[in-house]
Amino acid sequence: MSAVLISVVIFNIVLALIVSLVFVPILVWMERRVAGFIQDRLGPNRCHIGGVRLGGIVQSFADMLKLVFKEDYRPNSVKEKLLFRLSPVIVFVTAYLSFMVIPFADDLTINGETYMMQALPIEFGLLWVLAFAGLGVYGLMLGGWASNNKFSLLGGIRSAAQVISYEAVMGLSLISMLITYGSIHFGDMVRFQGELIWGLIPAWGIVIQPVAALLFIITAFAETNRAPFDIAEGESEIVGGFHTEYSAMGFGLFFVGEYIAMGAASALIITIFLGGYQIPWLNTITLKENIEIVMLAILVLLPAMSYFFARWIKKNNVWPDPDDVRNRETKWLIIGLIGINIAVVLTLIGLLSFGISSNITNISVALIQVITFVFKLIMVNFFFILVRWTLVRFRYDQLQNLAWKVLLPIAIANVFITGIFVVVLGV
Amino acid sequence: MGIKIIPRHGNTFKEKLYLPAIVGGLKVTFSHFFKNLKDTSNIETLCYPEQRPKDITNRYRGVHRLTKREDDSVKCVACFMCATACPAECIFIEATEREDGIDEKMPKKFSIDLLECVFCGGCVEACPCDAIRMDTGIFSFVKKKKEDFVVDIDTLLSHEPMKGGN
Repeated sequence: MSAVLISVVIFNIVLALIVSLVFVPILVWMERRVAGFIQDRLGPNRCHIGGVRLGGIVQSFADMLKLVFKEDYRPNSVKEKLLFRLSPVIVFVTAYLSFMVIPFADDLTINGETYMMQALPIEFGLLWVLAFAGLGVYGLMLGGWASNNKFSLLGGIRSAAQVISYEAVMGLSLISMLITYGSIHFGDMVRFQGELIWGLIPAWGIVIQPVAALLFIITAFAETNRAPFDIAEGESEIVGGFHTEYSAMGFGLFFVGEYIAMGAASALIITIFLGGYQIPWLNTITLKENIEIVMLAILVLLPAMSYFFARWIKKNNVWPDPDDVRNRETKWLIIGLIGINIAVVLTLIGLLSFGISSNITNISVALIQVITFVFKLIMVNFFFILVRWTLVRFRYDQLQNLAWKVLLPIAIANVFITGIFVVVLGV
Repeated sequence: MGIKIIPRHGNTFKEKLYLPAIVGGLKVTFSHFFKNLKDTSNIETLCYPEQRPKDITNRYRGVHRLTKREDDSVKCVACFMCATACPAECIFIEATEREDGIDEKMPKKFSIDLLECVFCGGCVEACPCDAIRMDTGIFSFVKKKKEDFVVDIDTLLSHEPMKGGN
């Protein structure tokens, strides 16, 4: 156990914690603000700590605190007390564990030793993810059943039926991807996507297998119980679905679990279809060879982007009452932005002038890839949110029709066609 | 009158594919999002306690006020017409003799319980000498104690008619 190994493992676990747990308030905030902007209103923007609002993100933390300190009320009609308590935990834990095998960057080599950049360094990541994606629905089913309430039971049944239908399609769309990549290790998949087709287009999964990508994205929406597939919740028909009887942090865990599942689904879509941590046309080897050019590019691009961001903050971060403490925030934000810029620029100039060793090259490439991954994660999550505020909910029979009569035949045909291609072309 | 045949939608291949329609919807929502993200000042939302609504009409029935004569004395003659007309029975008047010779009677006490008041405007209709009006435009009236909602004659006289309005 060297110090390097321990620090890499700790870095990965902390990173997995950040992109799953810490992302939840950010995602809730994003959801509410994006919904507001889509519907031409403002969304939460009032909550502040000493004037710092960060665009309203403080509201999410306030809401979480409220959920933690509320009375956890359990109706007397609940007989299965253990299952009632256990089901939110199942939802939360399974969603959280599927994050553990997502590669955040390419394998990191320090002092000749290679470390896998996953929180759980295993090579059968896809099986792990499939196992936990299927387990997550047990939480909803058990919660719906243990609530001893007709609406909750209906919600649980709906989510079970939905997952049975969509899990099949999801598995089949993944099989065609397995045939294409020839591996169940996420690292191999992402390395495959770093190559170019005919030296021109990045070989992302969505380019090679657009049908499988579409099927997987649709089923990922269904798997995470997000609109337009949120019939398990169905607040307009069955009150709250499976979480009708839950209050305080029991509900909070369901809520957090839903957002972590959304993040995990986004991470899976990115890893399998959107090139993972790869920047298009700049795979790991190219990045390592041209690290000085990349650093120079960051040196120029970061201040330029920060300048436009600061202008945007100045224009939009205003509060109607000029004497309010919230109006001082803009100044602090811009000072912070300048501080970050100075720190990054000085570090980069120092690295460039003192020369870059191979260890530093590898670490900085890994950092660039982590940032790319997080950026892609935010973008795909934004897409999830945009879809939720665009589409209406499916009716239950439409949902089953779509799964069994449309998606499943397409998925099976796709597997066959992919297989024939691979056998005939011998790739 | 011929029979009008309305074409059924949803049977062409493009419509059955759903995806073009979904992409169209995403385009609409994203354009709204991007427009508002670029410049939040376009959003109509009122940040309420800081920004006050400016579109209260003249006929809006706000909290009452007692009007005054030209010499700033109270116009009310304590005829009890408003208290009689009031369906909520929330107007309490105590009459006294008027000493300055302008009129015979005036109210010593004139209080309205705003928690009982239903803001029907009946008192304004009933008043024979235009002494009570509801044109202040005050729509939010917040106090800490129940007793504070019974406003007395001095408060009612101090209310000003709404400025501007449309």
